[in-house]
Amino acid sequence: MSEVILDCMGEACPVPLIKTQKKMATLSVGDTLIVQIDHSCAMKNVPEWARKEGYNVEIEEVAEGEWEIFIEKTK
Amino acid sequence: MSETSINTRISPRVRIDSKKNPKKNQIPVGIGILATMVVFALYLATISSKLSLLWIAGCCFGFILQKSRFCFTASVRDPYLTGSTSLTKAVLIAFAITTIGFTAIKFGAFLKGQPIPGQGFIVPISLATVVGAFLFGVGMVISGGCASGTLMRVGEGFSMQMLSLFFFVVGSLWGAHDFGWWQTNFISTGPKVFLPDVFGWIGALIVQFLIIGTLYILADKWENKKLQDQ
Repeated sequence: MSEVILDCMGEACPVPLIKTQKKMATLSVGDTLIVQIDHSCAMKNVPEWARKEGYNVEIEEVAEGEWEIFIEKTK
Repeated sequence: MSETSINTRISPRVRIDSKKNPKKNQIPVGIGILATMVVFALYLATISSKLSLLWIAGCCFGFILQKSRFCFTASVRDPYLTGSTSLTKAVLIAFAITTIGFTAIKFGAFLKGQPIPGQGFIVPISLATVVGAFLFGVGMVISGGCASGTLMRVGEGFSMQMLSLFFFVVGSLWGAHDFGWWQTNFISTGPKVFLPDVFGWIGALIVQFLIIGTLYILADKWENKKLQDQ
């Protein structure tokens, strides 16, 4: 049940999504991945992908134009 | 674990974060910019009503593009990269709607015996189209956006794409500089196709909708297949 932070600040689409996909594959069930992004495009495609995979997803805008996406690996 | 338990676990640390970086209220700035945009539109209207219309259409287009996170790059990139075709389908729907609009405008002019508007944009297709499309595709995936997407993200303040925009301008200027040579040697050799000339007005409409519809169904099937593979 660990939390892993993935820093994707300054990365343009689609890099955050690819990094997230690769990181998620290495996590075990129950872990939470926190993806830090500042690219609005990743705000759309990362949660969309994670929800389609069936993971729990939460988005928080932590500062102006900076978001953290919480993805819980449920399976 | 349910979503509620994530919420309770996350919220304390978000609260700490928001204390560290208090978000400014952007509404006064937004109203100010909106007012400036309206005033500028009124100023443009004194020069030419067309300029004013273009300004308003541009502002609306940018707003919708940003809010909808519409991205032409993602529409052709994501099916391969992530298997998601939601944007591909959105673009196809947009094509279908514009097809109706353009046909209505062009057919209307044709019926009245007026010159059909926009015929100057029918350009020859040749191998140059294929090569150019491939190069543009590679470029837009690397730089993270096509022309409209790059402009929109520069507006959002994403610094990496200011670099993209700079070199987009450099490349466009270079292209414009040499365009005459490409035009005479490669581009103008291809045939010009205007679908209503080939299939008739109704036929062209049917052919275009068949192509869009087929692509839409393929996109939908592709997404389902990709999801099952994972």
